[in-house]
Amino acid sequence: MLAALNRRFGYDERSAAILVFPVVAVLLVVAAYPILYSFWVSLHDIVLTRPLRRPFVGFDNYLRIFEDERFWLAVSRTTFYTVVTVAVTTLLAILVALLLNEAFPGQRLLAALLLVPWATPSVVNGLMWKWIYDPTYGLLNALLVQLGLLDRYRAWLGDPDLTLLLIANAAIWKQMPLAALLLIVTMKAIPDDLYRAAKVDGANVLQRFAHVTLPALRPGLMLVLVYETMISIRHFDLFLIMTQGGPGDASFVLSWLIYVETFRSLRFGTGAAMSYVLAMVTFLLSWAVIRWLGKRI
Amino acid sequence: MPIPALTSPRRRILAGLLGTPAMLAGIGSGPAAAQAGGTLNFVGWSAAVDQVKAQISAFERATNIRVNYENFPWAQYRTALVTRLVGNAPIDVAWISDAWLPEFAEAGWLAEINDVPQLMRYNAEAAEYCTQSMTYRGRQYGLAYYGDHMSFMYNTEILQRAGISAPPTTWEEVVQQSLRIKQQGISDYPLLLSLAADTWLIEFVSALTFAFGGRFTDEQGVSVMADANRGAVRAAQFLRDAIHQHKIVSPGAVETPEINGLRAMGGGAHAFGIVPTYRIRALNDPSQASAAGKIRIALMPKGGPDGTNATCGWIRFYGMTPGAKADRARRERAVRFIEFFGGRDTSGNYSMQRLLLTDVGLPSCAMPLAQDPAVQEFWQRWAGGGAIIAQQAGLAKKKDVISPWFGEWVETANQAWQSVCLGRAEPEAAMRSAGNKWTELRRAFR
Repeated sequence: MLAALNRRFGYDERSAAILVFPVVAVLLVVAAYPILYSFWVSLHDIVLTRPLRRPFVGFDNYLRIFEDERFWLAVSRTTFYTVVTVAVTTLLAILVALLLNEAFPGQRLLAALLLVPWATPSVVNGLMWKWIYDPTYGLLNALLVQLGLLDRYRAWLGDPDLTLLLIANAAIWKQMPLAALLLIVTMKAIPDDLYRAAKVDGANVLQRFAHVTLPALRPGLMLVLVYETMISIRHFDLFLIMTQGGPGDASFVLSWLIYVETFRSLRFGTGAAMSYVLAMVTFLLSWAVIRWLGKRI
Repeated sequence: MPIPALTSPRRRILAGLLGTPAMLAGIGSGPAAAQAGGTLNFVGWSAAVDQVKAQISAFERATNIRVNYENFPWAQYRTALVTRLVGNAPIDVAWISDAWLPEFAEAGWLAEINDVPQLMRYNAEAAEYCTQSMTYRGRQYGLAYYGDHMSFMYNTEILQRAGISAPPTTWEEVVQQSLRIKQQGISDYPLLLSLAADTWLIEFVSALTFAFGGRFTDEQGVSVMADANRGAVRAAQFLRDAIHQHKIVSPGAVETPEINGLRAMGGGAHAFGIVPTYRIRALNDPSQASAAGKIRIALMPKGGPDGTNATCGWIRFYGMTPGAKADRARRERAVRFIEFFGGRDTSGNYSMQRLLLTDVGLPSCAMPLAQDPAVQEFWQRWAGGGAIIAQQAGLAKKKDVISPWFGEWVETANQAWQSVCLGRAEPEAAMRSAGNKWTELRRAFR
């Protein structure tokens, strides 16, 4: 058998396989096994507080999820949050990338400062915004009252109509710099000749943006949209720190539902099934974006 | 009930992974400890850590038993403890909340102590309510770490400034006095209620429900919370009116956790509040609160036509694991530890209970301590006397929603209460939703 393998694969291929094997082995243990194990868990009715029973229920956990009104509530909250976060992040990132693509005094410093939010740990970001929105000593209240725009302090995160938008704002603040950076890299690759040709043809700034910059930005945009969608749909840390799914059910997103089901209700079976559903939705959305934009590149 | 043997390789792997920290802790104790009185693994949440460590030192000196002490933040404690118990980690003694007792007992994670006379004898000196809170289906599962209840507190200075001579005795009076204080511009929101959806919420709303003469479940454990007269609807209606109609409670209450509420009360921002009794020490400590010296306790006001002065009480206790009980040496160490901490120490004193009260303010379940001059001095110094507190403690009621499904149900209940506070749900509809979840979980458990 060894001889057959030697005949089929050359020296280089065999060496590569040997060198790659340790990494593959580690990945199998730390990634593949947990993924498969969690799928096995999702097929059982495992409740940690009832350790003596763990019946096999097949796909019942998955069916139960779709009958659970909390799930659909969480889907609607997640959809709203993801759309707002991805749309605003992308829009702002394009504007910032356009600005930083120009040469002006302090451009490098500004580009460096742009990375500060991105480098801030998620937990710190969540705490910082929670304090900014605080109803008793928050910076936002102080600012608005001093500017005369508010007559008394408000409980910003206590307003269910605003909660998701305020959390989205915190997410955008952190995520936008990386998106802008990815777009700047793409912009730098656009040949100047195209702009010069457009100018010769009499195109104004907006026309140059619409007909030169935007089409050339598609690979970067695809990356940003896929990445931001994947991140936003699975956001958890901000919800844990800022609202814990509340007030009421105002920020009851999918990741929070999974946390509650798994670590508070200790229903590992349905929690694992929900995680699989979320993973599949993320995968399908990313695939759709890649396909949709990929056709246009 | 002993923990079932881990039969499958997967369970053994899980057990190994989850038990690793505790096993490492055990290994760290070294042969010296094993040669002496042995080692005991104790898990608690991150509260009174200095006092616990001091008592552990005293215990180690008195018994030659080495203690491995691990603690986790309260918010993550239940999950952290459950994963360790599922993994069969070698825990001997753990702090347990009364709210988890049924689910832990049903899961076989706690050992009963009815057959341990060395511990059961302390029932004769413990408040009846405390012993009941550690008992499930006729079996007792530990000795008290502390027992406390929700108190109605008021700021004497604010009342004086508003020309109010006596604290309110009914919730209707609370509204009237609050409106008076508000109209005089002394406080925007005179009544403090910390209604963030955390572990304290059920204690606050239970206190209010009991004061309105209501309850969540009847003696058989059937949900009555949506009953307009004897349920929790009146209390929910009061909350809604207080926030939206009278505007005496801040709309920000839904994002105010207990600790932030404490700070606001200590800062003198509120005239009235429902606060855990043990916080009275911090509230009247000048180094911690600007309103120090002005906070006093009154009996819980009565609410509505069937109102009572009842409040919600709770206890936390030392529980022994079945694994520890099954092994003779571990059992002996665990029993000595629980007695030393939850009962009397080797000198015959309730030293831990006394330390927790005088250092942290945590009230004790041990009745003899009430006669201790140091304890009396403590209440006099920090609360202006202990008579009202003792009277209120006698009127404290255990949460009637403690059940094996409590952990799951409380998530729905918290959302229901918050929806009422936000004005997004009618009190009766919200309580019906919480009641339906209760019934569903109760049926599923059978």
